[in-house]
Amino acid sequence: MELFVEFLKNTGYFLADIRYILMICVGILFCFLATAKKYEPLLLLPIGFGIIIGNIPFFKGFGLGIYENNSVLHYLYFGVTSGLYPSIVFLGLGAMTDFSSMLARPKLMLLGAAAQMGIYFTLLSAMALGFAPKEAASVAIIGGADGPTSIFLTAKLAPHLIGPIAIAAYSYMALIPIIQPPIMRLLTSRKERLIRMPDTDRPISRTELLCFPIIGVILCCFLAPASIPLLGPFFFGNFMKESRVVDRLAKTASTSIIDTATIFLGFTVGASTQADVFLTVKSIGIFLLGSVAFSIATASGVIFAKIMNIFLKEKINPLLGAAGVSAVPGSAREVHLVGLKEDPGNYLLMHAMACNASGVIGSAICAGVLWSFMMR
Amino acid sequence: MLGLEAISANNGWAMAITGAIIVMCGLSVLAFIISQLHKIIGLFEKRKEAVPHFVRPAADFDTLNDLEAAARIYKPLTVNLGDSFHLTELYRIFEKEKLPHPHLTIRALRAAEYLQPLGEGVFRWKNEDQQ
Repeated sequence: MELFVEFLKNTGYFLADIRYILMICVGILFCFLATAKKYEPLLLLPIGFGIIIGNIPFFKGFGLGIYENNSVLHYLYFGVTSGLYPSIVFLGLGAMTDFSSMLARPKLMLLGAAAQMGIYFTLLSAMALGFAPKEAASVAIIGGADGPTSIFLTAKLAPHLIGPIAIAAYSYMALIPIIQPPIMRLLTSRKERLIRMPDTDRPISRTELLCFPIIGVILCCFLAPASIPLLGPFFFGNFMKESRVVDRLAKTASTSIIDTATIFLGFTVGASTQADVFLTVKSIGIFLLGSVAFSIATASGVIFAKIMNIFLKEKINPLLGAAGVSAVPGSAREVHLVGLKEDPGNYLLMHAMACNASGVIGSAICAGVLWSFMMR
Repeated sequence: MLGLEAISANNGWAMAITGAIIVMCGLSVLAFIISQLHKIIGLFEKRKEAVPHFVRPAADFDTLNDLEAAARIYKPLTVNLGDSFHLTELYRIFEKEKLPHPHLTIRALRAAEYLQPLGEGVFRWKNEDQQ
């Protein structure tokens, strides 16, 4: 009987408290949103299930938890804390990305840069709210709307915040259809939303597509060497794709490799949200600042597009500025849908993808810049 | 420490402004380069197009009985050698390309003055308007 009582005391039912129950409910909510509502299922499903697993209470010292040395979860989590998974995800992203729309419309790249202003605004806000500089930089990068970049920078600067920052970044990416459209509509007039973009500017040759990853990696990584772990694999993946001589490698990078990394990244990030380390006042601050960062990023892209229109003969649709955040392809899709709602014949998708692709590069440069600032 | 004081104490203003300028400049330069890239590539491709290509003659082509055609076909082989060249260099290219009867062909082209001597073993092709 005594043995049975001891056993009961070691079960999750006995050890659980309200915090764990709350986090398990969050995990179930993520799984629900992924499966029933199809909100970013590739991200929310592994994260949601990871949250459930990570919040099952256990007897400390068994080597079970993600923060306990020698546990299986701890080894899997190494890919997050070392920045390995984000680099692998970027390799696959590069092998999947078609830069032709961006190469055809280089001026739209500026919107990708403008949308990064949300990062720097949030950096200042986080510092003002009392976050330490490294923590503030990690929170700020949520404004880049790029999950792997946020995780990478946080792993380097404030590893204790990976859980809340990753969850915030991915949550806001999933909430793009709710966050972005009101901001787009608020900052643009109907007349501006009706601006039609020309179909295509010019055809892109294979040589251009081949040259771009080489020029891109040299230019960006010379500018911000700390972004090599992200942009190096990104442009390498793209070069493999465009070279057309290593189709097998490009296909593997854009399917099996990125899928494997996404599974472990999502699952372990979810599991890292153990209630006792996740449910803190700081996490609430991170969530609030994350939404500010994401909203400011969207707004700065739209406002910059309007400023560009003052100087441009051929006006650009300012909605495209919202696609400058690097949430690929969610924000591009949202811009397209908002444009279609105003004018069912206005197809903005390919133009928005150009901004989106430059947003990916921009947020990785920002991560590199912030990392190098904080290492000084 | 909170508020503006915290930002100043942590060098936040400088970091934010410098960071924003760096990313803006970086992507602007990249945008400028890729906007000019097709022009640079176009220049190279035009140059490539201007260079005549060697087209291998058909297997049944009788070099020795149609020297005019042979001279026209083989002329692109020496494009990389410049306007004048040594016959030994032409012979080496014939061998490399595995063309039939290199020795006989060169001798016949020389005898018919499709290859014109410039002295000291250096030759050039007869001008097309002369042909």
